[in-house]
Amino acid sequence: MVLVVVSGLIAFRQDYFVRNTAVYFFAPNAQGLSKGMAVKFIGFKVGSVQEISMQSNASVKVKLSLDNDYVRLIGQDAKARLIKEALVGEGVVEIIPGEQQVRQVTENSVLNFERGVDAGSLVENLTGQLQPILADVHQITSSINNPRGDVQQILKNLNQVTGGMRETVAQLNTLAQSGNMLVQSGNQKLDGAYVKVDRALDHVNASLEAVDKAIPKLVGKADATLDNVQSVTADIKHITSASSDQIPALVRNTNSLVQDGQDTLKGVKKSWLLNDFFPKQEETVLPVDSYVAPLPVKP
Amino acid sequence: MMNTFFRRSIVLLLALLLLSACSHEAPLVRSARQEQAIDFNLRAQRAFMRGDYQTATDLYESALQLDSAIENIDGIAVNLLNLAKVNQALGKPAVAQRYLDRLLSDKALRYPLVHLAAAATQYGLIRLQAGDVTAAKSWADKAVGYCLSDCKLNGVIANLRANIAIQSNDADQAVYWSEHAVSANKSETQVEYANAIRLLAQSKLLKREFRAAPPLLEEVLGIDKILGLPDKIRQDLLLLAQAQDKLGGAELAAQYRERAARIAATSLK
Repeated sequence: MVLVVVSGLIAFRQDYFVRNTAVYFFAPNAQGLSKGMAVKFIGFKVGSVQEISMQSNASVKVKLSLDNDYVRLIGQDAKARLIKEALVGEGVVEIIPGEQQVRQVTENSVLNFERGVDAGSLVENLTGQLQPILADVHQITSSINNPRGDVQQILKNLNQVTGGMRETVAQLNTLAQSGNMLVQSGNQKLDGAYVKVDRALDHVNASLEAVDKAIPKLVGKADATLDNVQSVTADIKHITSASSDQIPALVRNTNSLVQDGQDTLKGVKKSWLLNDFFPKQEETVLPVDSYVAPLPVKP
Repeated sequence: MMNTFFRRSIVLLLALLLLSACSHEAPLVRSARQEQAIDFNLRAQRAFMRGDYQTATDLYESALQLDSAIENIDGIAVNLLNLAKVNQALGKPAVAQRYLDRLLSDKALRYPLVHLAAAATQYGLIRLQAGDVTAAKSWADKAVGYCLSDCKLNGVIANLRANIAIQSNDADQAVYWSEHAVSANKSETQVEYANAIRLLAQSKLLKREFRAAPPLLEEVLGIDKILGLPDKIRQDLLLLAQAQDKLGGAELAAQYRERAARIAATSLK
């Protein structure tokens, strides 16, 4: 008797009591596919995976059993897509509707197949896109930190230049203070000072040229980085938009889950049965510290 | 049979739960304002612990305002004491004293003695820091008067008295009070226990028992390092240097001073 009931249940689960239409699709491999897997159309279960077999050309033939009640809604150009509805758990075969005008599927129709992007793949994809950004950031910081890099060399040159200028200004001050000496050999010394100023200015020019050359490179890198960031941000926006079915509700609603959790905990803490288990919070006095910096001990 | 037994067990369990509910004390009902004052107080404490004294001050002020509005006497005392401590940490002893005055000179409200004892002790410490030994002694005496039952400040007051004796150059009293402080603080906080040992070491130096000081200071140095208190670590090292100077260990003394100087260079307290 039990055996009959169990067999009946299995037969019911496998849609043996429903009039079905068998359709097929071919997949490059059987990864993620399993017998009995649900087939869904606009969110409703309309059938199941009946059979999976390997073909002589190493492709995989998948037989779907569709409930006849829904077959009229599925066109010949509909696609079968393998998706995961949540981060964990089994996948489903989703029927993507085609053109309304196309003739409906019939027994042994063959549908096109594609693999949908599941949450795991999306995360992997995001990681892949973030990596070049990290690499760029790493490269820029390394370039800045590298003692032989452009930025460090520019800073070194500028330091030298400012050092030289300081020295020149000091000399000019000395000259100005010693008026007599200036009168006696003023022209000669001033000439020397001007030469130094000229040299210093040359250094500044050279440094500015180096800066000019280095900045476009850095700007280019920064632009590329920003592009990457913008592209990733756009992807994230797209994924988290309400229309995207790929992100499981669990991830989308984390905040509300946390809030719910806190509310529940508060409720539990207040319930008469459990409130003794939680310490009651009170206003507390800060710990005392009697340390006073000692005065020097007299001998 | 089994079913009946199961049903009876459930009924019995429910009856027990109901009984326990009846015998249970009525839960402590707090107003929303009091809950908020507690929240401010706890947030202020966290701010103080991470060294954000300004935020701590603002939050304790908010808690004090709420407690004053609902006349929560215990809460008022707690927050006044805390505001005094935060202001002392901020290097504003005069402001700290004003908060303590509000607590100690209040004629309208009767604060719990334990809080008055804490306030008097704190007042004594502030006066001692200012070098006013006479006032510090007077406040220590008042603290003892307030510190009756349910008061855990005996060790702290003993530390204050030992420190007063050291600053008065009274070696015998210093040794007496610091030994008393060590024993009283043994079962209290590590901070106060370490303070007591340091004071005992200072007392020994004052009494010219130089050999007794280094082992005590090494012990307290270990505790202060665990607690991560740079100012105290530096002080321990300076006292060790002082002891080594007296014991003829000039080289060792120089090393301790160098270590203390390096800590001072970090400007962390």
